[in-house]
Amino acid sequence: MPMPSDEGPIDRFVDRLPQTRLFKFLASWILVPFWAWWTPVKPLPGGPHPSFQRGDNVQCMMNLIMPLKDKSPVGRAHAALAIAQNKDAIFAGLNNVGTVHFARFVIVGDNICMFSVYDGDFTNYIRDFIATIGSVFNAVVELVEGGEKVTPCEKNVEAFIQWVHERDLYQVPDTATDFLRDQEALNGDRAVSPVNDDLTLLPRKLVLQLRANANVSLGSGYRAYPGFSAAQVRQRLELGW
Amino acid sequence: MVDASVAKRLVEVIIANLPAPVPGKRPVHTIGMGVKGEFVASDVARTYCIAEHFKGQPVPVSMRFSNGMGGLEQHDGWSDVRGMAVRFHLSDGTASDLIATTLGEFFVRNVADFFEFAEVAKLEPYRRRHWLLKIGDFLRLKVPRRNPYPNETESVDAGALRYADRHRFSQLGIFQVASIGAPESYARASYHAVHTFWVTAPDGVRRPVRFSWQPVAGVRNIEAAKVSRDKYLFKELEDRLKRWPARFMLMMTIGEEGDALDDPTKPWPGTRVRVAMGTLTLINVAEDQDADGERISFNPCRLAPGIEVSNDPILEARLGAYEVSREMRGGCPFRWRPDNANAK
Repeated sequence: MPMPSDEGPIDRFVDRLPQTRLFKFLASWILVPFWAWWTPVKPLPGGPHPSFQRGDNVQCMMNLIMPLKDKSPVGRAHAALAIAQNKDAIFAGLNNVGTVHFARFVIVGDNICMFSVYDGDFTNYIRDFIATIGSVFNAVVELVEGGEKVTPCEKNVEAFIQWVHERDLYQVPDTATDFLRDQEALNGDRAVSPVNDDLTLLPRKLVLQLRANANVSLGSGYRAYPGFSAAQVRQRLELGW
Repeated sequence: MVDASVAKRLVEVIIANLPAPVPGKRPVHTIGMGVKGEFVASDVARTYCIAEHFKGQPVPVSMRFSNGMGGLEQHDGWSDVRGMAVRFHLSDGTASDLIATTLGEFFVRNVADFFEFAEVAKLEPYRRRHWLLKIGDFLRLKVPRRNPYPNETESVDAGALRYADRHRFSQLGIFQVASIGAPESYARASYHAVHTFWVTAPDGVRRPVRFSWQPVAGVRNIEAAKVSRDKYLFKELEDRLKRWPARFMLMMTIGEEGDALDDPTKPWPGTRVRVAMGTLTLINVAEDQDADGERISFNPCRLAPGIEVSNDPILEARLGAYEVSREMRGGCPFRWRPDNANAK
């Protein structure tokens, strides 16, 4: 194979190829489906990584995306109403539980999304909220596809926690190589050295994961004051409890 | 303790892998410029560390910004690790150094890894990948290797990639090197000290920490298409400082039990407590570049009382290797603290 060092017109064309509509079409409709079939990828699980370290257990993120049953403006209005009608219950729940930094409900297309930042264990977080604002969860989840199986949540606590966990988005790590480690861990591969990896396959691995896992959180969150719980912030600011 | 012969071998294998070693110059980070400035600690810095430069009074500082490559060829526009070595001048005539680069994590854990890396990642001819092979890469959804820069004929990239493919601990550092780019200005890059240090607070509490410099002007790289701009960083900084001082914030991340304290290849999570330790103001380019840019000799283990090295084997190796390199190039010796002079 000749290896010319000077750049010719074919080189310039090939360098630009990935940006062309033809290649993007080819990649979307042929290459990605082929590689997904040839090298199947399991979707990576959602939520924060389990960790014993204190800093990893404060300001954790939950990112739920829940498809609405009624995919019309009326259905979206029902979702908006479910939140608006429960405002007092949500504030009371936040004050009673005390581990939540913030929680947001967002409608994106035909989905109602709940994004929150909380301290401590995920299952305890959901369990506490079932106890304090279970009625709000019921009002929202009843509008969501598959939600009827886990409502009322007060009577289906463990099933409800599992249901929420399954809808919590995978948090793509801050570093590209930690994404590879997540995939290896999912496949039971814990080797360190020597291995026979191919780092240039990183783009394919990312593309195939995003095909299996269309909604993800990018990064583990960028925090202005990491390492502090909601309780510490309230105490330092003398906001009482 | 890394013995002197190992420190010497470390420097020798670096020099052996250079395209054109330059006697009397630094083997790597050869191209650089000295800058004068001042550091003022934040109000909270003194509660975390008793070191003199964290007490709050203005501290004069000498810095050297550099390109990572060895040799006298200056390719500012090439993707490369940049260096920012800082010396805090203390009131008793001693100093505390903080050496940082734009690389967030290192690519080897210890000296043995480094020697293996140097064996694998040797300079080899570097050519444009044939277009047919590139199409093959695209069809496999792989990244083809980058095109050579103008006049680039040799590189360690292929060997470094081979090393990374065999050792997962090295992959983050090598991936970062491959994608690091070129900064618009030395004052528009973040610099990381990579290693863990221990700082002592006034109440005697010792904490493991990592330091980073963050530019107040923000981080910005040049466009990849502008790699042919060979020489712009010196003039840019000179012009910038004539208009207005440039600033960096010194951020200190506090590690937790379970974090990698002695392994510079492992990052700490972004969930660790970060403390703003102070602001460094770059005032002017040093007038005497020979004394303040070339002969000045930094060492990552030259630390003020209140800051100590960790057991990181690479940090330990740098103690001796920097001194060997200084002696080989006739760099200016600098007074060590009496209590760590024996470590040298």
